[in-house]
Amino acid sequence: MSNREIVVENLGKEYPGGVTAVNDVSFQVKSGQIFGFLGPNGAGKSTTIKILTTLALPSRGQARVGGFNVVDEAEQVRRIAGVALQEIGIDPLMKSMELLTMQGQLFGASRKDATARAHELLELVRLEDAADRRVGTYSGGMRRRLDLALALVHKPEILFLDEPTTGLDPASRRDVWEEVRRLNRELGMTIFLTTQYLEEADELAEVVAIIDQGEIAVEGSPARLKASVGTESINLAFDSRETAETAVSHLNDMADNIQTDRDMVRLYMSEAAQTIPAVVNRLQQANLSPISLTLTQPTLDDVFLQVTGQRLQTEAAKPQAA
Amino acid sequence: MTTPHLSAQSYRETAVRNNQASLPLQIALVTWRNLVTIFRTPTALIPPLVISIFFLVIYESTLGKAAGFIPNLSGNSYLGFILPLSIVSSSLSGSGIAAQNLVRDIESGYFDKLLLTPVSRTALLLGPILAGALILGIQASVVISVAMLLGLQSATGFAGLAAVVGLAILLGTGFAGFTVSAALGSGSAAATQGASFLFFPLTFLTASFVPLELLDGWLQTAAKLNPITYVLEAMRGLLNTGWDSTALLQGVAACLILGVAMYALAVYALRVRTRRS
Repeated sequence: MSNREIVVENLGKEYPGGVTAVNDVSFQVKSGQIFGFLGPNGAGKSTTIKILTTLALPSRGQARVGGFNVVDEAEQVRRIAGVALQEIGIDPLMKSMELLTMQGQLFGASRKDATARAHELLELVRLEDAADRRVGTYSGGMRRRLDLALALVHKPEILFLDEPTTGLDPASRRDVWEEVRRLNRELGMTIFLTTQYLEEADELAEVVAIIDQGEIAVEGSPARLKASVGTESINLAFDSRETAETAVSHLNDMADNIQTDRDMVRLYMSEAAQTIPAVVNRLQQANLSPISLTLTQPTLDDVFLQVTGQRLQTEAAKPQAA
Repeated sequence: MTTPHLSAQSYRETAVRNNQASLPLQIALVTWRNLVTIFRTPTALIPPLVISIFFLVIYESTLGKAAGFIPNLSGNSYLGFILPLSIVSSSLSGSGIAAQNLVRDIESGYFDKLLLTPVSRTALLLGPILAGALILGIQASVVISVAMLLGLQSATGFAGLAAVVGLAILLGTGFAGFTVSAALGSGSAAATQGASFLFFPLTFLTASFVPLELLDGWLQTAAKLNPITYVLEAMRGLLNTGWDSTALLQGVAACLILGVAMYALAVYALRVRTRRS
């Protein structure tokens, strides 16, 4: 099994003019892992991905992609890494079949192999029907999928995706997610993705790092990060305010904090999921039956808010800002 | 979602990543790619051609009858004298094609995508330039065909006409080196377009309408320093008087000097653009 790790140590980057884009970033992505890199606009996400994909040089520190140094072994890094940048670099006058075949040939495949590979990839991203249409006529989702296919032409072992679903409709977004998961699962590809959608990181990433002001603010699995902030709550709805108040009198000792809002009761506690049976038992003993019972868990958004002091924008980020 | 099965095993077996296309193949691929996009935007090709033909017809109509009064006009026809000017200006405006393609790629981000492949810098530069050169050849041929319809008789026959086209391509390729440099340096379509106009005055700082000997003192000096003068003289010789190896060599040399200098500039501009900072 080849080395598919990404190792980043004390990476820093200043742009001419003294702007610090990345201050001091260290992290490690294990072989075959999906790693989510989150951050507000301008936090250093795009700069980090540009350094890792050899488009920019770091000012300090070092980074290895698949064991290759991104500074001295850029050529090797390019051969094992696939990159789909945020700005989709596709010539709208070309057809996807042409772009894929040419890309394959540039990577050294014969015309025959490159054509076969192009067909394979078009099928993979479900663009066979549009293979001979100019890319300019594609929808945003189709372009993203083609961009993903282009990143896969040379069969990379490590895939970099810079905001792969920004600007996509929910259906196309789910398609991309599905694809990313499958590449990871079936081919063991290590996937490094930046995103500004917390839901996306939560769905895909095994490990999430949040970068803020050029430094990693927090890193861990989504579940662990969520558990580290806020508390969970059990939410009960009753048929009337009176029933709700009666219920509160019976449940008083079960929660750290109880809020009542007309016929709604919120019980805040840690390990809420495990406490649900006890709450239901207690209500049954008191002959009270709620209309609904829901569980609220902290989201990555809560994590993000706590760590960065701001909510993550859902607006599409401008490439130059990040 | 129905998708083909890709096993990790077959995936590795068919890996292509240790290979690289040979340089000639890379150049051919990038040139082909540029030609495809050029032919898919034919509207960009028409205006330079129309303007060249327009000038040819206007000059011939206005000055053709007066040509008998101009002394030292070598050979017999004014058409053969003015046609090279029309061809040179089409080479000039056509030289922007390579740069426009390049700047489009830079703006769309496709250029970055190519940089992430093992493609050589030479191919990235020569691709658009060679594609542009082919277009220049076609343009010059069309302008010559129109001149023949207007009654042009070449003193050196078909071979001479082919040599005129060759000179047009050489000259235009030299200018393309300059506009490509502007595209790489600026990364902006507007700036690239502006740079194309810089050479426009050169077509007038030369023996545009009358032979070199009739030019005013300062203009004659400027014309003698202007490479276009030698290209015009070589073309005129071919069309009006016959094979003149000195004029031809001077014309080719002027193109080559310009071409080599501009290509060097383009290489430098590419190096600056692709320098990782």
